[in-house]
Amino acid sequence: MIVGAGLDLTNNLQVLFQGLALGSIYALVALGFVLIIRAANVVNFAQGDFAMVGAYLMVAALGALMPYWLAFIIAILAMGAFGWLFNIAVYYPLRHRSFLPVLISTLGASIFLQNLVLAIAGAQPRPLPKLLDFDGVLVAGVFLDSQYLAILGCTAICVLFQYFLFEHTLLGKQLQATSQDKDMARLLGIPVALLIALTFIYSAALGGLAGILVAPILFVSIGMGSIIALKAFAATIVGGFGDVKGAIVGGLLIGIVESFAAFHISVPYKDAYAFLMLFFILIFRPQGLFGEKISEKA
Amino acid sequence: MALNNFPMRKQVLAVSINIECMQKTRRSMMLWLLALPLLIGIGVPDAHGVEPIKIGLVSEITGANAEAGSYTINGTKLAIDMINKNGGVLGRPLELVIEDNQSTNPGTVLAFSKLGGDKTIVAIIGPIRSTQVQAASPAIAKAGIPVMIGGTDPSLTKVNNPWLFRCRPNDSFSSRVLADFGVNNLKLKKWAIVHSTDTFGSGGKKALEDELKALGVTPVLVQGYTNNSQDFTPVVLAIKKSGAEVIGSYMTNSTDLGILAKQLRQLGVSATWIGSATITTDTAIKLAGDALHGTYGIADFSADANDTAKSFAAAYRARYKLEPDVYSGWAYDATHVIAQAITASKSTRAEDIRKGILGLRNFKGVEGNFNFDESGDGLSGYNVLRNDKGKLVFMKHIEFKRRNASSQASDHLFKEHAQLPS
Repeated sequence: MIVGAGLDLTNNLQVLFQGLALGSIYALVALGFVLIIRAANVVNFAQGDFAMVGAYLMVAALGALMPYWLAFIIAILAMGAFGWLFNIAVYYPLRHRSFLPVLISTLGASIFLQNLVLAIAGAQPRPLPKLLDFDGVLVAGVFLDSQYLAILGCTAICVLFQYFLFEHTLLGKQLQATSQDKDMARLLGIPVALLIALTFIYSAALGGLAGILVAPILFVSIGMGSIIALKAFAATIVGGFGDVKGAIVGGLLIGIVESFAAFHISVPYKDAYAFLMLFFILIFRPQGLFGEKISEKA
Repeated sequence: MALNNFPMRKQVLAVSINIECMQKTRRSMMLWLLALPLLIGIGVPDAHGVEPIKIGLVSEITGANAEAGSYTINGTKLAIDMINKNGGVLGRPLELVIEDNQSTNPGTVLAFSKLGGDKTIVAIIGPIRSTQVQAASPAIAKAGIPVMIGGTDPSLTKVNNPWLFRCRPNDSFSSRVLADFGVNNLKLKKWAIVHSTDTFGSGGKKALEDELKALGVTPVLVQGYTNNSQDFTPVVLAIKKSGAEVIGSYMTNSTDLGILAKQLRQLGVSATWIGSATITTDTAIKLAGDALHGTYGIADFSADANDTAKSFAAAYRARYKLEPDVYSGWAYDATHVIAQAITASKSTRAEDIRKGILGLRNFKGVEGNFNFDESGDGLSGYNVLRNDKGKLVFMKHIEFKRRNASSQASDHLFKEHAQLPS
């Protein structure tokens, strides 16, 4: 019995580790969602495809025989440029319209991107080497995949960077002001359009990073982004629509809950738990874990 | 008056010239209109004055399985070009009409409705996914022309749809080979079954459970998962917990299979793995790398299984610079089956082609010898392959006699064609 219990503890730790790692990927993509929601007041349905495009750019860069670190930097920079392009083509022309046209526009961009990559790169999924040079380590019977460790590390760095950027720099304050009240920000001399463009650049880089990080595990495929984005979107809502802290906590929570539920209850219903959680959150705390209640003003 | 008349006559002349001009333009326009179909090449005799025979192909050009779809198109085109080079069918060239199904069930139904509405199409090569075939079955029955299918769920050909013809062996055969190979050849008795919860995976699981039961084995674990799972840790831990010596799998996507393979290795599971055809696909082998070394696959396609397969593989490699696989192989066969049936029945009427297909005897294909039974199943053999450091090694081909053709006891139902040292 004791042996069994010991094995169970190890297994549970293993499940916790996987859940945390997948959760941080959801969190990274959810962060991208939240930033754009805050800056442009729109849900970007192509956020998952940013991850996919990033992973393919990485494959292309490695294919050009670059060393891994250089390919990594180039792919992230290219994603930044891509974000700027996305802003110009998908968001900017519709910036004075309501929520819906922009949302449809991002949805269209998502379909376009998937088929564009399909036409250029072909449909065959590809492997991507890991960030670190070893497969993983065994700690007390729990296998820590090096890529999952890298994911956890990179997510932590991104979250810290973002916290520093938003709370302790002028740029961050300006970004916050833009997201809170565009007209007021404009009156105060903040270049709103530029800051929104910056947000798109940053979110695209973030999405690309998530794609590159997760690709060695999930492989590089056209559909890789949409699977992650759905969960990340759920994470955004669970955490509180448009809340940075909420996106991170929501992402981790969904990762852990689905991992444990799959292990202890049933694997085939794994995807259902994330959305079951979404149900309960929407019923009992519609503003999300960290969201503030918004009431219509008269 | 006379003077006045002159300009008027001139005017009349001018008008009549104008009319003549217009008539000329109209005539040339009519000529162009007549020539238009010729230019586009639809529905009219081609340069040799022979109308082509149109064959439809419903395949995955966009969406999640676009990769497989591209191979299917390769295989079909290779067969069609080969047939046309040898003079076509009944002296007429074959022409391919491709319709995308977006890798989805609704897309498949739509594609079949579209192709079925085109009365010049005489037969269709359908999808390889069981779930898509299941969804489109009513639309196929409505279209009323022969449809070649690659989905291997045994129940597909048992729904009284006379127009479905399966150009691959169904999973009641694959599961029989899988169970027999594991239990009798490898002498392994503690089984874990891992399966996708889609139509293909559940059908395979059920068939494998039945075959194991017939051999006196009850699996210690039956574990389902949904397609596109990002993490197989719970599955791997369940296998570990069960203490299984052998894993029998029916997995749909090669990406899922790759993830499972890597995690099995990482979490220290060393059970023997015998998988359905997905484990032998080029993509799975590339994605999973050394995590699949030493595994076994039960596949209907093997590039080394017979002479037809060998010559197909050589032609395919030469043309596409790719490894042939089941997606290209089965479509290549399906095209040849249609062509052969039309040749044999000397007609392109749906009912005649159907009779032609049912009348084929030992028609040699890449996947084996075709003998269609009344329900529309054409093949009943499978190959056992081993992944030897990333190279697939053909071990043996196992051919079953049909249950309805033989009343012998089930353990004498198959004879082995070729036996290589394992």
